[in-house]
Amino acid sequence: MGSAEKKQRKKKPNFKKRKNSQLSETDENLITVKEDNEQNKPSGKKKIKREKGNSFDVSDVQDNSNKAAKEKKRNKSKKKLRREEKSNATPIDEVGEHGAEDGDDADNSNENLVAGASQVKKEIENPGRPVGKSKKARKKKKKDRGSLMKDEELEENTRDADEDDVYMISSGDEDCSKGMKKWVTEYHQSRPGLKVFQQRIDEFITAHEAKLEQERKEREARAAEGGWTVVVHHKGRKKTTDAESGIAVGSVAQAAVEDKMAKKKKKDVGLDFYRFQRREAKRNEIMLLQSKFEQDRKRIQQLRAARKFKPY
Amino acid sequence: MDADTTVTLTDPMDYKVEELLKEVHFARAPAITKLVDDTVSAVRKSISKIPDAFPVTADLAPGFVRDIGADKVEFKFNKPKTFKIGGSYSINCVVKPAVNVDLFVGLPKECFHEKDYLNHRYHAKRCLYLCVIKKHLKSSPSFDKVEWSAMQNEARKPVLVVYPAVKSVEAPGFFVRIIPTAASLFNIAKLNLKRNNVRAFNQDGIPRATPKYNSSILEDMFLEDNAEYVEKTISRWKELGEALILLKVWARQRSSIYVHDCLNGYLISILLSYLVSLDKINNSMKALQILRVVLDFIATSKLWNRGLYFPPKGQIGVSKEEKLQYKEAFPVVICDPSAQVNLAFRMTSVGFCELQDEAASTLQCMDKCGDGGFEETFFTKIDFPAKYDYCVRLNLRGHTEVHALGFCLDDECWRLYEQKVHSLLNQGLVDRAKSIRVTWRNSPSEWNIENGLAVLDREPLLVGISVSSLEKLFRIVDIGPNAENKEEALRFRKFWGEKAELRRFKDGTIAESTVWESEQWTRHLILKGIIEYVLLRHLSLSKENVVQIVDQLDFSLLHGAKDLVSFSASLLEAFEVLSKRLHLIEDIPLKISSVQPLDSAFRFTSVFPPEPHPLANERHTVSRLHKLTPSCIQPLEVMIQLEGSGNWPMDHVAIEKTKSAFLIKIGESLQNRWGMTCSATEDDADIFMSGYAFRLKILHERGLSLVKSENGNKAKRVYSTDKILFIRGQHASMINGLQGRYPVFGPVVRVAKRWAASHLFSACLVEEAVELLVAYLFLKPLPFNVPCSRVTGFLRFLRLLAEYDWTFSALVVDINNDFGPEDFKVINDNFMSSRKASEENVQNVNPALFLATAYDKASEAWTTCSPNFTELKRLVAYARSSANLLTKLILEDQTDSCRWECLFRTPLNNYDAVVLLHRDRLPYPRRLLFPSEVNRGRHVARVNASKAFGPFLVPEEMKGSSEEVKNKMMVDFDPLRCFVGDVEKEYSKKLKLWYDSLGGDAIGLTWERVGSKKREREEAPEEETDSIGVLKAVGELGKGFVRDIYFLKAPRLMS
Repeated sequence: MGSAEKKQRKKKPNFKKRKNSQLSETDENLITVKEDNEQNKPSGKKKIKREKGNSFDVSDVQDNSNKAAKEKKRNKSKKKLRREEKSNATPIDEVGEHGAEDGDDADNSNENLVAGASQVKKEIENPGRPVGKSKKARKKKKKDRGSLMKDEELEENTRDADEDDVYMISSGDEDCSKGMKKWVTEYHQSRPGLKVFQQRIDEFITAHEAKLEQERKEREARAAEGGWTVVVHHKGRKKTTDAESGIAVGSVAQAAVEDKMAKKKKKDVGLDFYRFQRREAKRNEIMLLQSKFEQDRKRIQQLRAARKFKPY
Repeated sequence: MDADTTVTLTDPMDYKVEELLKEVHFARAPAITKLVDDTVSAVRKSISKIPDAFPVTADLAPGFVRDIGADKVEFKFNKPKTFKIGGSYSINCVVKPAVNVDLFVGLPKECFHEKDYLNHRYHAKRCLYLCVIKKHLKSSPSFDKVEWSAMQNEARKPVLVVYPAVKSVEAPGFFVRIIPTAASLFNIAKLNLKRNNVRAFNQDGIPRATPKYNSSILEDMFLEDNAEYVEKTISRWKELGEALILLKVWARQRSSIYVHDCLNGYLISILLSYLVSLDKINNSMKALQILRVVLDFIATSKLWNRGLYFPPKGQIGVSKEEKLQYKEAFPVVICDPSAQVNLAFRMTSVGFCELQDEAASTLQCMDKCGDGGFEETFFTKIDFPAKYDYCVRLNLRGHTEVHALGFCLDDECWRLYEQKVHSLLNQGLVDRAKSIRVTWRNSPSEWNIENGLAVLDREPLLVGISVSSLEKLFRIVDIGPNAENKEEALRFRKFWGEKAELRRFKDGTIAESTVWESEQWTRHLILKGIIEYVLLRHLSLSKENVVQIVDQLDFSLLHGAKDLVSFSASLLEAFEVLSKRLHLIEDIPLKISSVQPLDSAFRFTSVFPPEPHPLANERHTVSRLHKLTPSCIQPLEVMIQLEGSGNWPMDHVAIEKTKSAFLIKIGESLQNRWGMTCSATEDDADIFMSGYAFRLKILHERGLSLVKSENGNKAKRVYSTDKILFIRGQHASMINGLQGRYPVFGPVVRVAKRWAASHLFSACLVEEAVELLVAYLFLKPLPFNVPCSRVTGFLRFLRLLAEYDWTFSALVVDINNDFGPEDFKVINDNFMSSRKASEENVQNVNPALFLATAYDKASEAWTTCSPNFTELKRLVAYARSSANLLTKLILEDQTDSCRWECLFRTPLNNYDAVVLLHRDRLPYPRRLLFPSEVNRGRHVARVNASKAFGPFLVPEEMKGSSEEVKNKMMVDFDPLRCFVGDVEKEYSKKLKLWYDSLGGDAIGLTWERVGSKKREREEAPEEETDSIGVLKAVGELGKGFVRDIYFLKAPRLMS
């Protein structure tokens, strides 16, 4: 993040020219930020400091004489932001904000998704603070995060200013290479009518059959070359499985076969025929139970680690 | 052998109980003891500083004295006779998180007159005494704050809650309750149940007995003795204390029984002592066994009918006559050891029934649920929202009718009002309700007792209703008494007013009745209508003060103004016709042997079943089209099977081609014979009929085995088209059967699906998985009953998702209840092997959400790839947050913006980038719940809308021949799917998409983890510009459909 800052500052000269009406909402902030940057330029030391630390305090780098005025401005826009947030605030929203800020501020390598999730969890584990409840509480929270907010805003705004403003993309209606037009065209192309498909399928089947025929012929030719074929003895029953794929052929349904197989009685000697077998079975069972117990124990430890034994 | 088994098997249970006790038991560590001792001695010290003979008058709490109607309350303050630590701390059974110590303060006899048991004088003095103490404690620096609370919600018996200034980490929120006791203050005979001690309580001048009032005083008189008795009993052996703790945990999870008119910790300990005194519990029992004995006693004992009396010690026991008196005065009797007071005098018969039910259902859990019902008994929260099908909140703030007759006579006005509401509802709902529970908490946290009792109506009164059966719930006509029965009929008319009608019924009887007209899809609102009518008619309430919960989520399923499920009947009719026609087809080589619906619309679980499209008809002429004719139509999949034949080709491609050939033949045949239009693509054939598009799929049975033999076990997870079809068919018929058994299943699934989609989980949790999760709630409802309303079902769905132990357990959905131990073993083995495979890396658990069903015991059908570990984590977090919000919405009034719709409005700032779509380019714009906007981050791109597509046909498109116009209707065209497909093709390694396939206008993007460790920090900015580039390219891919793209966060490198 630090080096990103640096870059932005270098680019500053062109900055003024790029003012876009699209960003009218944050314009006010943009200017403030820009001024900040101008003032801060000479203080090279601080720049380094900032590069080191991930979060930097706005007031730290601000010129004291201008401080009050800017604070005001920023507060104003902050209020706006707050109002907007409130309008579509949801409990998760609130939670999400935490997650987002945590991520931005600390710049840790946590995946933000996980951060968000754990944040949600925290929120829930903290029953004392009902999710997004009273205005008062929210305000207080906002205050707590005041410095964070400032940082974030600044960062956002500079980012906004960084590159070309919003990239405009055409509707794509003029060519069919990408986007909606392409999808609509593809849709219509995929439905040329039943007749066409019938024809295509016919063609395929003909080709396919020709291929199979070809293969058969080759096989026969190969057999003919040798002059003789191996005769395989088939047991009395009519063959019901295909030799190549091993699947059921003809009238015997697979389900019926399976059913029959299931009904067949097991003919092997019972496992508890000999005394040693019984003893062994018994021992095995105990071993099994022991391992199950161990497993349970392990699981409980895991549960405990996950605080699962808390019923409240 | 058997003995061996039981020993090893019960051990884990003991272990769990032990762990649970460790977790909840607030043990007396030295630091804790010190804190308690310090606080208590500080209280004593402060109180001892109060000067004796300090004159006390009503001025200390004028409002209170006025409201309870006491006269002659002046007294001179005297120091308390005794200080004694009582309650759960004295028996070392404090259960977290409510960490407190009861301090009994013996009221000195000098402050009271002999006749002070009359007319609430005792109560007033008791309160004033506390006022004096409070004043002094407040001035002491050792206490943080001193607040008022009420004993068991009884407002006339306030207690003081004192928070010490010294906070301890081990005991967060620790406080001391100061409870006055009145040992031997009054003559017990004067407080006999038959006596009237509140003179204002009379009927035409004849004084009525005041058993509750008398008991209220008697309770204080014997508080210390009873506490001592309990202490002596419980401390006899360790397991008793443990059992008490377990019982408390059990009861606390059940908010319908752990309330003022039912159970509390004190009563539990009394009950336990009682059972010890009866020798029902012996010292060889373990804590869990004792718990079982107690629950069994509560649920089944006959002793409740005659009341519980401790066996007399030496003296003569309670006489029969007295017992009869008790029985007449109170529904439940638990006499204290001294046999002078019914400790259960606050318990109502409804509360007791509820208690018995809960105990019985817990015993059932222990027998039937896995792990001995441990989870269900101690961990599942059984609160009003999850337990009752219908919840109603009455806002009675400032409602003077409640205390029109005075605040406290024999009973308190709030309790009487609870009973009134209960009896009204009972009468109004007749047999529709299995149980009705009405509770009203009256102890606000910041209660200024000095100002009186009028403020105690601040919290809403809560009604919970369990539905008896769905047939009864959906009944339209309630038949009342026969017209000839004049008296009854008159009473009926008086109760129902203009709603009562005299009707002649089919069997010739003429009877009074009420009729509750309702459409099929609004039948769940019948009960709501009745409740509203009855309450508004008999209580002078305004409509907005009766808050009903049952229909609050319906908005999420509406399409415009109506629920599309109302078209289901016509859809099923059309399907029947189609099925008949398919069976009749003669001119194809193989006859059609079966036709089976696949789409969720056929089983009432589709959020938006299609509405008939004017262009999808057999008629050739296009009739007048209304203005908003949709340009898209959603096809409904139907699976057909052909009769067997040996002539099918062998390889996969050829089979598919042959299927297509069959479909085309079928289409042509239908077209020729019935004039039904057919449209086909390479893979699908769509038949238009009665306004619907049916997409036919052929299941070729041999295709199932084909893949098995081709791939062996190598590509276990790659299912063939036939296998997928087969599984979908199995799933469809199973769910359909379930929906038939439980009509509420459909709506619950629909709300759940809507929830998952609106939080952009469409890609993570497939429809079928949601159906199975909800099915589980209906098949394994314990410790609840089967849900009978969509809100309850939805809440339980969210809690299931949030609380189920996905990492270590498979969720087994046994729809037909036919799994034997063998099946469970197979499932468990599958589960274990799937977990073992990912033992080293928890992140790669596959499938993270293990759903086993009869047709899919290895959870390969729906959740193999998604949700993955991280997706599930997010899903669980969202579910938890939504469940908590929903619970709160049901229980409390919301004053701020956090309302019902927030359950479905997803926060967009949880993503790294957000793509917003052109709302007027969505195929079904009316399905959009909320238009999304993004106010943060960086606006990367803006894209113009395409003119190639719009959700509705424009007038120009409606001109021309019917053939042409029909071709304008697009089957299964979904720009979102196209867009997602294109982006995933291009950037599946870089981006992950979160979207709402039901019709949202926002797509969340997250960067996939970049694994390279080589990259240095300095490269981050490049990374950022790179990602901006990616986003721009994404915009290009979605030309004409995407509206804006916002960049919120740069990708993070793995360190």
